[in-house]
Amino acid sequence: MAVAEAYVPTAAPPARRDRAVRAARGRLDWLAVGLLVLVTLVALAAPLLAPHGPLDPVGTPTAAPGTEGFLLGSDSVGRDILSRVLYGLRSSWLAALAVVTFGLLFGGLVGLVAGARGGWVDTLLMRLTDGFLALPAPVVAIAVVAALGPGLLNTLLAVSLVWWPFYARILRGEIRTLAARPHVEAARLAGTGGVRIALKHLLPGAIPAAVVTASLDIGTLVLTLASLSFLGLGQSAPAPELGADAARNLSYLLQNWWIPVMPGIAVALLSLAANVAGDGVRNLMSGR
Amino acid sequence: MLILVAKRLTAVVLILLALTAVLFALEQTSTSDPIKTMLGPGASQALVAQKRAELGLDDPIAAQYARYVTDLVHGDLGTSYRTRRAVSADIATFLPATLELALFGLVTAVLLAVAFAVATTLRWPGAGAFRLLLMVGASAPAFLLAIGGIVVFYRELGWLPATGRTDFVDAPTGPTGLLTVDALVHGRPAVLGDALQHLLLPGLAIAVGPAVSIGRVLRSSLVTTLRTDYTRTARAKGLREVEVMRKHVLRNSIGPALSMTGLQVGLMFAGVLVVELIFAWPGLGQYTAQSIPVDDFPAIAGVMLLLGVAYVLINTVVDLLQAAADPRIEA
Repeated sequence: MAVAEAYVPTAAPPARRDRAVRAARGRLDWLAVGLLVLVTLVALAAPLLAPHGPLDPVGTPTAAPGTEGFLLGSDSVGRDILSRVLYGLRSSWLAALAVVTFGLLFGGLVGLVAGARGGWVDTLLMRLTDGFLALPAPVVAIAVVAALGPGLLNTLLAVSLVWWPFYARILRGEIRTLAARPHVEAARLAGTGGVRIALKHLLPGAIPAAVVTASLDIGTLVLTLASLSFLGLGQSAPAPELGADAARNLSYLLQNWWIPVMPGIAVALLSLAANVAGDGVRNLMSGR
Repeated sequence: MLILVAKRLTAVVLILLALTAVLFALEQTSTSDPIKTMLGPGASQALVAQKRAELGLDDPIAAQYARYVTDLVHGDLGTSYRTRRAVSADIATFLPATLELALFGLVTAVLLAVAFAVATTLRWPGAGAFRLLLMVGASAPAFLLAIGGIVVFYRELGWLPATGRTDFVDAPTGPTGLLTVDALVHGRPAVLGDALQHLLLPGLAIAVGPAVSIGRVLRSSLVTTLRTDYTRTARAKGLREVEVMRKHVLRNSIGPALSMTGLQVGLMFAGVLVVELIFAWPGLGQYTAQSIPVDDFPAIAGVMLLLGVAYVLINTVVDLLQAAADPRIEA
């Protein structure tokens, strides 16, 4: 674009085509959101979908993908990698959803109280939130799990502990903006109580922003949880976990690459699906 | 400006105090028992009691916390249960390798982010493919990029090394500990090239994710700036496109991207810890990973404290830089 382009007047596209394009995009967004449901269903149905038990040695060790009936190959003790990946996917996905849900509920509550009450409550809660936001979340999470001891529950606890402040900030911002709107003022003049205003006049307006943030966040969470698991902070040995399965099988990387790589690809697909779905949710909510 | 600096510094002190309080509280609840680790499981009651008193573990919590902070201020991070050395000495040994990798990763991330943002905003040829590649890469965990990189570029193609910092057994070890800098200081270009080759795969693995986050922010502020009246004026008065970008657009779009870079440093730290394990990189990630299975909490807390302090300081500097660059930002 170093040279100025000639001005070419473009005819406005016919309205009907425009509408068709928009409808197609809307359908794509719904498809993306459908992906979210699909992944959740796969996660829930993992025990039904997995051809073998995730802990059972069922065949020759280190079989290549697609051989001996192993779609993704078998690991060093002859366990079916596909089955382990499906179970790992289940725990990763449900863990990410659990953390997001906790973040939304707890962070949302903090943000709602701070925004609706204002004054010193607002200052106190937001200083606390800022304090958490000022610290690097993954680092604090690692310290917490290291102190409590590795394990799925402790990891969830640690990540939830550092994840809610984002939501508190966003909710509080939305609530403050809404609180200045005429309908809230009208409610206050009508003598509506503080709690009722917060729940009926402020909260509903703030929910879309929170949901959009949450859905865009799931992908990041999947990655964060996987790296904690990779560092050895997740469930202990035989349990199928995507990050840990990759880390424990690093020594096979050069001879049997699929053993550590397959769980990694599963994490990538999971986070990609979450990101695509998150974009879809955002587009639908913002009414593009 | 001075008031702003004072305010930010106060905030830093408070945040760091909060961080130490968190770590101290974690140490209290930690499942690992320092006495047992030090004396072994067969120690007698009397010996345990004596050691507890000696370490001051029977003092009130507040006194213990005060002592903990005083020690930290004096650079005493406690003693590692595993190596039985001072944690600060251990960290000093492992820090340079991590610092070099993290800095290399950060620079790579910023370069990729700028390329991503500028290419997609100005619709350079190939921008779409580049964007897709980065977006897919950013969905992958750092460890997958790392092991995938090893399989492709080490095992299949043999272009890049897979482990360690250098192949030279006589590589210089001083004065900075950063191999690339030391190689320059000692006038060894071969070592420098080798060190860069070793940095490339782990550096890229940790850079791609942050690059996309930074690039997205930069892109959206570029788009906004390109639509401003002063950009139109700059074009209208006949400035070359390169000049418009450099003088008017990039400069005014950099702020939000800089903030994002500061925030991404936290994620990058996690990436460094993970990637070091894969590349047998002799840094803090290895140190942490070896400390986790044996419940060596002082060692882990020491590393996390260091990373936390680095993160807080970096973000404070970013804030102040922004305020200095843009007078509209005030305390």
